[in-house]
Amino acid sequence: MLTFSRNKIVSIHRKNDHTLRVRGILEDDIYGMEVDVDITLPHLEIVWINGKWTRMENRECPKAIPFLQEALGFRLTEEGFTQKVQKTVGRKSCRHFANILLECCEAAAEAVALPDFAVEKPEEAEPLQKEFPAKKITEKPARETHKEAEKAPTHKRGEITADPLRKKSQKGMIIDLHVHSAEASPCSSAPLDDLIVEAKRIGLDGMCLTDHNHVWSRETINEFQEKHGFLILRGNEITTNQGDMLVFGFEEDIKGIIPLDELRKMVVQVNGFIIAAHPFRGFLTFGIGQLGLTTEKAMARPLFQRVDAIEVLNSKVSEKENLFTSQVAKGLTLPGTGGSDAHEVEEVGIYATRFFDVITCEEDFLKALHQRNYQPLAFRKALKQ
Amino acid sequence: MVPQSEPYPKFQEVKNRTMVDILCFSRNNSVTVELPDKETLVSSCRLQDTLMDLLVVIRVKTPDLEITDIQAEIRRSSEAELPDIHETLKKVIGVRVGPGIKKIVKGLMGKSATEKKLIFMIGECCNGIILSFAKQVLGKAPKDLEGEKKFFANLVKNSPRLYNSCAAFSPESPLMEEVDPP
Repeated sequence: MLTFSRNKIVSIHRKNDHTLRVRGILEDDIYGMEVDVDITLPHLEIVWINGKWTRMENRECPKAIPFLQEALGFRLTEEGFTQKVQKTVGRKSCRHFANILLECCEAAAEAVALPDFAVEKPEEAEPLQKEFPAKKITEKPARETHKEAEKAPTHKRGEITADPLRKKSQKGMIIDLHVHSAEASPCSSAPLDDLIVEAKRIGLDGMCLTDHNHVWSRETINEFQEKHGFLILRGNEITTNQGDMLVFGFEEDIKGIIPLDELRKMVVQVNGFIIAAHPFRGFLTFGIGQLGLTTEKAMARPLFQRVDAIEVLNSKVSEKENLFTSQVAKGLTLPGTGGSDAHEVEEVGIYATRFFDVITCEEDFLKALHQRNYQPLAFRKALKQ
Repeated sequence: MVPQSEPYPKFQEVKNRTMVDILCFSRNNSVTVELPDKETLVSSCRLQDTLMDLLVVIRVKTPDLEITDIQAEIRRSSEAELPDIHETLKKVIGVRVGPGIKKIVKGLMGKSATEKKLIFMIGECCNGIILSFAKQVLGKAPKDLEGEKKFFANLVKNSPRLYNSCAAFSPESPLMEEVDPP
C-alpha cells in the first residue's frame, strides 16, 4: 500500500533575454505549495519571488510567505547558496518552501548549461557551477587576537585552571564536551571568544571544541587558553557511516565520511577515545517510540561495540531521546557523557560532564575519560535551581 | 515591508501575445513510499527532466530504518560516460535513515554529475520515508483553534529542535505562546 507520495514539477521559460521565469509546484500528502521565481542572467540572481499555499500543516503556515523575500539577491553561483536558502527561507519561512525553491534553482542552473542556451556573458561573469567549494576554514580569531593575547595574563601552557575554588569545593570539574565554534563549523553562529566568555560566566571549568571534521592546532588553542585563562580541550566531531562520533586524543584530519570500523582502528592506535554523539537523535515531528525501537534492539546496534562511551545528554535531542540513550548506555555498561552541542553562544553548558579528577590539560582529560570517573549533568538547569 | 508581487498576465494579455512561452527546461520529480510488510518500507524516486531520466529505489527496515537494499536505473542521460553506479550504491547499504543522512550519503558516493543526482534522489527517498511518519503524527492534529494550538505546542515541547525552525513555530507565533524556548 502507498503510504506517502510527493510530486514536484519545475518548469522554466525564458521571460526575456535576461530573465528566466521558474515555476515550481510541490504536492504531497501533507503540503501543497507553488512558487514562482525570476532569475536574471548571466549572474543567476533571484530578483523576484512569489509563493502560495494550497494545503498546509497548520493555520500559522501562511506567515511563511513574506519570508520568501529573504531569498532576493541570492545568486545561484555564490558559495554556500544551498545552505543560505536552507538557513533563511528554510528556517524563517518553511523548509518545504526552501525545498521546492532549491529544486527550482537547481533546474535553472541546468537549463542555462544546456548547449543551445545562449547567454550574453559580460567579462566579469562568474562561472556557472552547481556545487561550490566548501568555505575554507581559517583560524582567523587566533591571529586577530594575538596582540590581545600578549597583553593578557600568562598561564603555563597546557595547565590552565579556570576556577580553583571549584576544585577546592571537591565538586569536580565541569566540562562541556560538545561545542561548535563559528570559526570552524559552518553550522555554528558562536564565535569562540564569545563562547569562552559565556562558559566562564556560567561557571563551567572547561569546554571541548568538537567542530565538524576539524582539527584545531595546539598553538591556536593555547593562545585562546592564555587569553581567557580558561581550559579548552581539543576534540573533533567526525561523521562516520554509523553517525557522528566525538573523538578525543586523535589529531588526524579526516575529511569526508569514514567507516566507523576504520576510524576505530586509527583511534585505538593512538589511545584516543570515541563517544557516540546523539545516537538516537530523532526526527522533527516524531520520535523513536513511533518506530517501535526498544532498548534491547537499540543495544544490538553494531556501532556500540566500537565506541568507548555514549553521549546521553545532548541539548539538540528531546528529553525522551536522552532518557532512551541513558537506558541503552546503562544496558551496555558504557559510560555516559553530557555536552551541549552548542551552536549558539547561549547554548553552551546546557549539558556538561562532571569529572571527579583534576584536569588541567589534554593528557589529564584523556586519562580521566578512560578511567570512566565522570558523570553527565544538566548544568544550566542546575544553575536555575 | 514585503515588495508587491508581480501580477500574473491576464487572459487578454496572454491572448494578445505573438509567441508562446515555450519551456526551455522541465522537471518532474516523484517520490512514493510503500509499506510491503510491517517491517519494510520501500521508497522510490523517479526524476525526469530535460537532461535525465533516473529511478532510485531504496528498501528500509524498521525500527532502525536501516537501508537494506538500493537499486537505480539510468533510463536516459546527457552524460557521455556513465559511472558504474551499482558499485557506488552498495556503499549506502547499512546506513540508517535519520538526521544527517544526506551528508553521509554524499560522503560515501562519488562526484560525477550522475552520482550527484543519485545522491539527491536518495535524499528525496529518505525524506519521503520521514514524511510518511510525520504524516501519521500530523494527521492527529485537531481542527479546532485551541486543540490545534495545544497539539503543536506539545509537538515542539517534545522536539525542541522544532522551536523557531519555521515561521509557524517562531517565538512570535500564537502556536508557541505557551512554549518556553529550549
